[in-house]
Amino acid sequence: MSVMLTKFESKSNRVKGLAFHPTQPLLAAGLHNGSIQLWNYRMGVLVDRFEEHEGTRALLVSGGDDYKIKVWDIRPQNRRCLFTLHGHLDYLRTTQFHHEMPWIISCSDDQTIRIWNSTSRNCIAVLTGHSHYVMSAFFHPKDDLVVSASMDQTVRVWDISGLRKGSPNSGPGNFETFDTFSTVKYVLEGHDRGVNYATFHPTLPLILSAADDRTIKIWRMSETKAWEVDSCRGHFNNVSAAIFHPKHELIVSCGEDKTVRVWDLAKRTAIQTFRREHDRFWDLAAHPNLNLFAAGHDSGLIVFKLERERPAFAVHQNTLYYIRDKYVRSYDFETASDLGLLSVRKFGSPYVPPRTLSFNPAENAVIVTISSDNGMYELTTLPKPSSAQGGELKDSSVDGKRGSGMSAIFVARNRFAVLNKTTQLIEVRDTSNSVVKTIKPPVQTNEIFYGGTACLILSSTATVVLYDIQQQKTLAEINSPPVKYVMWNADSSLVALMSKHTITIANRNFSQHSLIHETIRIKSGAWDDAGVFIYSTLNHVKYCLYQGDHGVICTLDNPVYLTRVKGKTIHCLDRSARPRTITFDPTEYRFKLALLKNNYEEMLYIIKTSTLLGQSIIAYLQQKGYPEIALHFVQDINTRFELAIECGNLDVALETAESIDRPDCWERLAQQALKQGNHKIVEKAYQKTKNFDKLSFLYLATGSTDKLSKMQKIADARGNPMSRFHNALYAGDVMSRISVLRDVGMYPLAYLTAKSHGLEELAEEILEAAGLSPADVDDVPSFGKSSRKPPPVINPTTDFIWPSLSTGENFFDRALASGSLENGIEPTYVNGDAAAGSLAALDDWAKDEEVHEEIDPEEGGWELDAGAEFSASHEVHEEVDEEEEELGAGATPGISEIEHWVKNSPLAADHVAAGSFDTAMQLLNRQLGVVNFEPLKPLFLSIYRSSHTYISPVASLPPLQLHIRRNPSESSLSRVLPVAARSLQSIRSEFADGARDVAGNRLVNAQATFRSVLRALLVVVLTSDEEAKQWRDMVTSTREYLLGVSIELERRRVAQEEPDNLERNLELAAYFTHCQLQPVHLQIALRSAITVFGKANNSAHAARFAKRLLELKPDAKIAATARQRVAAGERNPRNAVEISYDEFTSFEICAASFTAIYKGSPSVQCPYTNATFQPQYKGSLDPLTELTEIGASASGLPAPW
Amino acid sequence: MDSSELYHVKQQFVLGAYKTLVDLTLPDPNSPDFLPILIYQARSHIALNNPKAALQLVPADSENVALKAVATLAKFVAAEGTADKEALLEELRDLSVEIEGDDVEGTDRDKATVRVLAGTAFARAGELEEALETLGADTEDPEAVAVIVQIYLSINRPDLAKKEYERSKRWAEDDLLLQLIESLIGLATGKDGYHNPYTFYTEQLGNPSLSSPHVLTARGVTRILRNEFPEAQSDLQESLEQYKDDAEALAASAVASGLSSTKKGETDANELWARLTSEYPDHPSVVDLSKKSALFDEAMAKYTVPPLATATA
Repeated sequence: MSVMLTKFESKSNRVKGLAFHPTQPLLAAGLHNGSIQLWNYRMGVLVDRFEEHEGTRALLVSGGDDYKIKVWDIRPQNRRCLFTLHGHLDYLRTTQFHHEMPWIISCSDDQTIRIWNSTSRNCIAVLTGHSHYVMSAFFHPKDDLVVSASMDQTVRVWDISGLRKGSPNSGPGNFETFDTFSTVKYVLEGHDRGVNYATFHPTLPLILSAADDRTIKIWRMSETKAWEVDSCRGHFNNVSAAIFHPKHELIVSCGEDKTVRVWDLAKRTAIQTFRREHDRFWDLAAHPNLNLFAAGHDSGLIVFKLERERPAFAVHQNTLYYIRDKYVRSYDFETASDLGLLSVRKFGSPYVPPRTLSFNPAENAVIVTISSDNGMYELTTLPKPSSAQGGELKDSSVDGKRGSGMSAIFVARNRFAVLNKTTQLIEVRDTSNSVVKTIKPPVQTNEIFYGGTACLILSSTATVVLYDIQQQKTLAEINSPPVKYVMWNADSSLVALMSKHTITIANRNFSQHSLIHETIRIKSGAWDDAGVFIYSTLNHVKYCLYQGDHGVICTLDNPVYLTRVKGKTIHCLDRSARPRTITFDPTEYRFKLALLKNNYEEMLYIIKTSTLLGQSIIAYLQQKGYPEIALHFVQDINTRFELAIECGNLDVALETAESIDRPDCWERLAQQALKQGNHKIVEKAYQKTKNFDKLSFLYLATGSTDKLSKMQKIADARGNPMSRFHNALYAGDVMSRISVLRDVGMYPLAYLTAKSHGLEELAEEILEAAGLSPADVDDVPSFGKSSRKPPPVINPTTDFIWPSLSTGENFFDRALASGSLENGIEPTYVNGDAAAGSLAALDDWAKDEEVHEEIDPEEGGWELDAGAEFSASHEVHEEVDEEEEELGAGATPGISEIEHWVKNSPLAADHVAAGSFDTAMQLLNRQLGVVNFEPLKPLFLSIYRSSHTYISPVASLPPLQLHIRRNPSESSLSRVLPVAARSLQSIRSEFADGARDVAGNRLVNAQATFRSVLRALLVVVLTSDEEAKQWRDMVTSTREYLLGVSIELERRRVAQEEPDNLERNLELAAYFTHCQLQPVHLQIALRSAITVFGKANNSAHAARFAKRLLELKPDAKIAATARQRVAAGERNPRNAVEISYDEFTSFEICAASFTAIYKGSPSVQCPYTNATFQPQYKGSLDPLTELTEIGASASGLPAPW
Repeated sequence: MDSSELYHVKQQFVLGAYKTLVDLTLPDPNSPDFLPILIYQARSHIALNNPKAALQLVPADSENVALKAVATLAKFVAAEGTADKEALLEELRDLSVEIEGDDVEGTDRDKATVRVLAGTAFARAGELEEALETLGADTEDPEAVAVIVQIYLSINRPDLAKKEYERSKRWAEDDLLLQLIESLIGLATGKDGYHNPYTFYTEQLGNPSLSSPHVLTARGVTRILRNEFPEAQSDLQESLEQYKDDAEALAASAVASGLSSTKKGETDANELWARLTSEYPDHPSVVDLSKKSALFDEAMAKYTVPPLATATA
């Protein structure tokens, strides 16, 4: 064990008591000076301090040197001492709550142990028996037992089951009664000095004691007795405490020799020692669930872990490969099936969990690294999942390849890189563990990660380097604190580099990157399908967009290690490496991502379908400069107004301002409107705020003279001469200006104004009113004529608004206005719902498949199964001669693969594929009597060309011919076979086409199709008896259809060319009904026969056909006519035309002459289709298939399987 | 150690990204990379079957052996008559002899290039023995090994190819070209169900520093060999979209659709084949097929077709 990871340290007075909170990250520490500290060890902050004791040892419930026990409420809002328990007569040593009963146990230097009821606050038991200070007393975690340790050198186990029964007399001071139900069960003697600490194992019947004799003893107990098992020696001073590891078979102890030691419980050997220079250790506490310990010492406390908890894992597609309890396991994200695959127990130190895991899908192999033994790696192939079930799991030591190195990862399908930290060399090794390349990294490298094809990411102290293995050079470098984990996104376009407090998101060549800083430790991360990085810190799950925006998704009670994010589910491993899922709402970050990508459809979709969007998102939108978008989903009027102002949406602003109707709003609206040149809104805002001055000026500016005059009237009404004057001035209304001046008694000004405007009469009048004559104002200099008046209005601006800001509709306006809100515009891709899209694609695909298989329902009954697999029966194992031939010029050509094909198969199709046409022809001739090969030429050529492909890997050399096999997993040349270019399947669909042609009365087409089917069937590759049977059935049916179609074509020819030959016509019609067709097609034949015979007045025959037709259960309508025909036949059972047709004797139809060959008559057969011919046709070409020689001998198809 | 630029050029050349190389801007003529990159560019032209462009690129008066070899190969590829070809082969023979001497202009790399180019020309002319001899049984140039391996494979000697590859593993560090050779042998022998070439090409498709439709084609071909026809078809289509003048992708695409065993596949295959035949009458598969066609007629002639059985007979 090489790690003791200190999570937290504090500086204080000596810590003599420690206790973890079972669920919250709180740790209470009792200090020697009597105060109690409550620490949040995760955040590293002191939460609270309680100071009422004098010298404290134990906590939550605390006991002190003042003989008192106090119970505290630690909730910050009402922290206080709840009550105090009195009774002990000397210093208290330890106190503890019972895990389920309201009991508190305490022990004291008064040699007693007391149990208190915390609800009644009474002492309910006093356990006496120790003859010295009782140093510790604890409840058993499950049973009604107590273990105590005392300076009297004993450890005692007490049975307190009596406490549970009956209500003990709780009268104080009544010691005698207690003894009756709390008895000493065992006294464990063996320590030579006082015992400081004794505790139960959480699950096993074991007790651990720590004593001043410097030993730790392990005791086992049964129902009847308890005995010493072993001692752990090693501390060289008093051992103050020893506890069991809550999960592993370990003991942790601490003592006054300034060490914390870890022991193997099974072997009782020391595993690790953690030493401190100056501080003696006094107390130890283990967290009940987590891998956390706290130790109190002379000058504070430390919180530590014994091992890394981060489970080693790797994700490949839908599978998580991870290590739990030293087993490599696989976990399927979809099915949640969790399988053990491989044991790595024998790899490295048994106490150290593997550090990293790298998975290689191509080889189905893993590399596991471990930090023990100065770093080791092991490469093992995983067993096939099937073999993992049942029985022992494969152990990696069987075929694992090991080596030393700090970190090892796969860099390619058959290469992995190993970093040796001390020598600073990176070795690239192949799967046989031999070094193919050695790299000297350009920087001091602490860890290596996969960096994309042929690249590594090197983590150094201050930088990360993207390094090209092939080229052995640095491609890019980013400054970053030491990177601890690296995560690539699904398409390897982005990578997240995680260090303790930062995440760098970079693209794949590191040319762009953004940095996030976290104050809390970053634990893990995973990419969402949409390219959002989700990461976990000690207490949060957060997201981060590629440009660096980040936010909180949810809080965590305990750290988790994210493995995969899919839709709304986060897959993770918890601290004990068990797969878990967390469901969360990705709306917020999806929305932000959509915003970032300007994907308005998706944003709209999110707005409509989710209940997102509190103030934070609005603030976000505003901050990111999208107030107009935020506007669309804000209801609050004030916010709407703010946003509208911000984005210049005056309509909304006006609307909201009206409903708010506060002057400051109007003012802001006015300002904004003024900026945009929308003077109408400005006007309105000024009106609302009664800002007459500005209003007047606005009218002046816009040239709205009539409104100015209105303003004058208003000013008049308001009795505000200043305003009147203004307006008069703006309006250029001299008269009213003068009248204002006169009204306020400023006659001189009024006079002068009138005078300078040439209004002499008025001037006189004013003078008069002032009681002066013109002579009195002689000394007034005369002014030129004033032309003061407002500039003329050039443009009637009043009626127009300057479109100074584009008010074009944005996407949202349109979308929201068009009323498409209800059904919504489905985005092409929404993360999480993407499955739907791909499902649809799959459906399409499946549909194709279906179409492919589909046979017209009418032609049903062809659903033969072509599933049987090929199994080679050639077990001839050919030893390839390994002659030691010199390389070089003397090389003679070897045997081509196509020659092997020919050798390996007796099927004509395979010979065709091999291009060995003459042997193929021989085979067909021998097996099926084929003589006319002309029609097969296109087939042969297309099969041949489909069986070979070319590639030119080296420039300018002629391309290399490659041969396509149908058994690609076979590499032995003696068993390889060419690809099956034609399958029964594809031919079947062609046959179905032909059958459709029959139904559709396209007989010439049908005839051609059936012939083509028969040709194709010659070169089908058959691989099993089942298939051979199907093949034969297919040949027979095709023959029957072809025969039937040929007969019918002949009949039509006769009817056309020899209309008098009614007899023949009828015969052929009758024969057609004897071809073995599918019922639906037979109906056609029968109906045609009925019609023809009916016309010829052969009612008896017609009735027979009609009866046969009825047997086939045709449609009601057809059945009705058939019944009429039967009835007619019964009425008149006669045939007008005599024909040679005897349906009652079984017969075959000669396929050449289309005549009946009755049973027993001589006949010859087609060697391929078994069609029957009159004997005189022997030796001629089969007219049906036009391929074979009638009556030729043939061996039939071989069965090579 | 090659400079980064030259390294990339080499990598692209190896992975068949000739088109990219052809469009590449040459570095400064004084740069040490100028000549090698120029040679790769010229060779890319030749590989794209455009020897004239290669000739334009190569300065006629150069004394550099590698350049001379490139020019000769270009002329050889362009040459029509056997006499011309023979003369050019002779030139290459002279060059190969010349580089054994000490007084030639050119680095070791150039000499290796000369051998590779001469070997290529000999192999093209069908003089395999001579090609192997020129390349040398103990060469330590991965490019030469690639040519040797392909020659072995073309004469169905994968055992020798493997041996050559194993031998080169000893001296060549884990070179990209070596991996290519390995996957090439995998393609020809079908070892482990074509696993190795498949992963190799897939891996190279993920290579950030290059994109080559040729790699896509190669993976498509691999997929055909693995009997994954629809997947192959999609690779090949993508390859053709990126570079539509790739006869190889076209040919492979025809094969893949022909094997997809659907009616549409068959029609597509015939269309693609017709296109291939008309556009690339020299493609080996076209040539081969016409040979086979003749063979068929020949074989067919051995059978006499009896008269058709008809009712009148």
